[in-house]
Amino acid sequence: MTAQEVRLCGLLLREHFGEVVEKVGTHLLKGGAQNLRTIIHETGISLDLVKKSLCVLVQHGACVFRSGRKGAGSPTEYQTCCDRILRILRYPRYIYTAKTLYGDTGELIIEELLQRGHMTMSGTIKTVADRLTQNMEEGRSMDYSEVSSAFFRLVETHFLQRCPPLAGAEPKDSATPAAPAPPGTPAAPVSTAPPTPESFPDCYKVPHVTLVGRGKRQLASEDGEDQRNAKKAKMDSQTHGDEGICWQVNFERFHLHFRDQAIISAVANKLDQTSSEIVRTMLRMSEVTTSPTATCTKPLSANEIFRSLPTSYNIPRPILDQYLTLLIDDPMEFVGKAGESGGGMYVVNMHRALANLARATLESVVQERFGSRSARIFRLLLRKRHLEQKQVEDFAMIPAKEAKDMLYTLLSQNLVQLQEIPKTPDYAPSRTFYLYTVNQLPTARMLLQNCYKTVANLVERRLFESKESKRLLEKSQRIEAILASLQASGAEPEQLTEVEEMITAPEKQQLEALRLHINKLDSAENQVDETIFLLESYINSTASTS
Amino acid sequence: MAEVKVKKETNLSDATEVENRIKQLCQQFPHGITDQVIQNDMPQLEPQQRAMAINKLLSLGQLDLLRNSSGLLYRMKDVQSASKMKGSDNQEKLVYQVIEDAGNKGIWSRDIRFKSNLPLTEINKILKNLESKKLIKAVKSVAASKKKVYMLYNLQPDRSVTGGAWYSDQDFESEFVEVLNQQCFKFLQSKAEVARDSKQSPMVQRNSSFATSHEVWKYISELGISKVDLSMDDIETILNTLIYDGKVEMTVIAAKEGTVGSVDGQMKLYRGVNPVIQPTGLVRTPCGLCPVFDDCHEGGEISPSNCIYMTEWLDF
Repeated sequence: MTAQEVRLCGLLLREHFGEVVEKVGTHLLKGGAQNLRTIIHETGISLDLVKKSLCVLVQHGACVFRSGRKGAGSPTEYQTCCDRILRILRYPRYIYTAKTLYGDTGELIIEELLQRGHMTMSGTIKTVADRLTQNMEEGRSMDYSEVSSAFFRLVETHFLQRCPPLAGAEPKDSATPAAPAPPGTPAAPVSTAPPTPESFPDCYKVPHVTLVGRGKRQLASEDGEDQRNAKKAKMDSQTHGDEGICWQVNFERFHLHFRDQAIISAVANKLDQTSSEIVRTMLRMSEVTTSPTATCTKPLSANEIFRSLPTSYNIPRPILDQYLTLLIDDPMEFVGKAGESGGGMYVVNMHRALANLARATLESVVQERFGSRSARIFRLLLRKRHLEQKQVEDFAMIPAKEAKDMLYTLLSQNLVQLQEIPKTPDYAPSRTFYLYTVNQLPTARMLLQNCYKTVANLVERRLFESKESKRLLEKSQRIEAILASLQASGAEPEQLTEVEEMITAPEKQQLEALRLHINKLDSAENQVDETIFLLESYINSTASTS
Repeated sequence: MAEVKVKKETNLSDATEVENRIKQLCQQFPHGITDQVIQNDMPQLEPQQRAMAINKLLSLGQLDLLRNSSGLLYRMKDVQSASKMKGSDNQEKLVYQVIEDAGNKGIWSRDIRFKSNLPLTEINKILKNLESKKLIKAVKSVAASKKKVYMLYNLQPDRSVTGGAWYSDQDFESEFVEVLNQQCFKFLQSKAEVARDSKQSPMVQRNSSFATSHEVWKYISELGISKVDLSMDDIETILNTLIYDGKVEMTVIAAKEGTVGSVDGQMKLYRGVNPVIQPTGLVRTPCGLCPVFDDCHEGGEISPSNCIYMTEWLDF
């Protein structure tokens, strides 16, 4: 939990849940596992508010609780992990993926679950149906069964999973797998692997739910009435047979999907469309048979691949074999050959593909930041591991002075390291070899921290820009509200134009510019998040294989 | 010398005859003769006389004194080079010899001092002398530009000193290297495009997009953009830089001995490739390229709220 991660988590919590939750959350992040009294004492927030913030954090899976370390009977301790909070950054990507795969219904289901943290199936379906109905034309409404079927499909493909039940005195947590197993609890599981939601057999079982009806359209009425209606909907006393079974979004599955997409697009860039289709088929076939931390998929025979290819790609069998051979010969080693049975057994090397993608990311950062010649030196050092300065100049064909300059710049930014090999025990500089080298994993970690800092900077800038124009924004909001109420009560066009003119033209321009700025900052955050995802996957994959 | 003649008149032919005899012996054994050989030939010659005769020949510059493992060797010197050195004294001859021994690579003035044990001022005088006589020349080394190595006038300096094809007058020709770089890349890229457009089976496509280093070498030579003759090794170093640029990949295949361009039964094949990913998300933000990234924090002089790079980027 580095300082940059804590800062970014704080900003995300503030944006999504408010300042009180931010204070409690950052305090937990910095302080490790603490009990309620400590939190209250050290943050100075009242008991009530702390309790509510902890509820919010637990609801979203960011905080886990367990009985204290001093033995059963000591107060429960709460612990937060920054991984789960950093996922908030990726919500737009999850929602977009759900939209591309399952349409609007899927998108709304995922959005609701992300916003609420945990929710029962019936609750989700009803809310989503209502929302969809609102966006449809008059007279049409969304049937619950359609939404249910979308929900089933999401569960089938493991994008949604059940929250593991909390069991009495020894709560098994449903937070990220990174949460440690309770150390002092006597009945704690012996294995050090933390209990994940997937260790429960019913994880993906959809309960039998009686849910019949259609979405209700919310009528356009006064604000106050809306509030009351909303409250009434929540206290709906209908039961549907699935109380206590909450569902949450399975982030790991989404990450696997993103990883597959990254590999497929890399293959498409490097080779051609058909090869990427073949790799896509192979990955699709091994979606459920491969564990998330495996370095390569299970071997697939060429016959199976041939049969599973989409029918639009009408390539004859020998051509498929040629494509597979080309994929194997490619230096990027996306696909490997694991045997000869069944026409050739092929695997997708995920760990190696991730390593290559991470390496390409590092190279691209060096290229954009320092120029293509420095990128040449960087790639040269990645290939040849250790080189003396003279050798670097010779291989890269860059004049000595410039090469020296570039190497020293890279060294000062810590992208390149020096390895000393002494000829004499006293490390005298004239009698020591100095070799330049690049270590991919530590450099990736460093860049990841830079990414976190960048995103935090972007968020802060966005908040700053909104704060600067706060007065203007409030004014425009007031005017919009007035306009809406005038329109609803049927005013004449002159009154409307009069109200509209209350915003002067330069102010309109300012508002427009502000809107553009905020959009730009938002999209930049998403782009940096893509880099974060690649680097994180690479680091996790390397850590689990080594 | 006249005294010698008078004294030994009865016993021996005169000293010139001794010298001539020695010279004949030298010519008989072009690799050099030792004292032993002279003694065997003229057993009646006293060592003193022998020494004097040899010294005379040495001072005349007709004999070369060398040392090998068993003792001293005397060798016939070329008449030509002997004539060159007329008028120079022993020290100069010594320095000249040392430089000659260095051959192609030349020798630094400090090394000359070590080998000849002469003081620095003497060395400098002698070197100036020899240079004015056009017997040696100074060549600037490309590794250390202040260092001058001396070699014989008519020798071609070795590649390690001048740097080979990429250096002209001690300057690394970076534009030349850049031009070659781009030409090679264009050649490989166009070959890959032709192969891709041919719409044949993928294996054939890939194989036809490959070019051997020999083909590239021929193409570049025919282009004629290089004043210097480039060897295949030179072209391979250029192609290697393209690999380090990430634009080209290389494979080695086994080739029959004797096919054009094969070295030791292998051939190197190069082809142009596309990059694997687009420029990554981090570098599309100003923070990814910011030179003061490490100094930036909220509430400081440089902070996200007042970052000028961000302001420019947002208004872009």
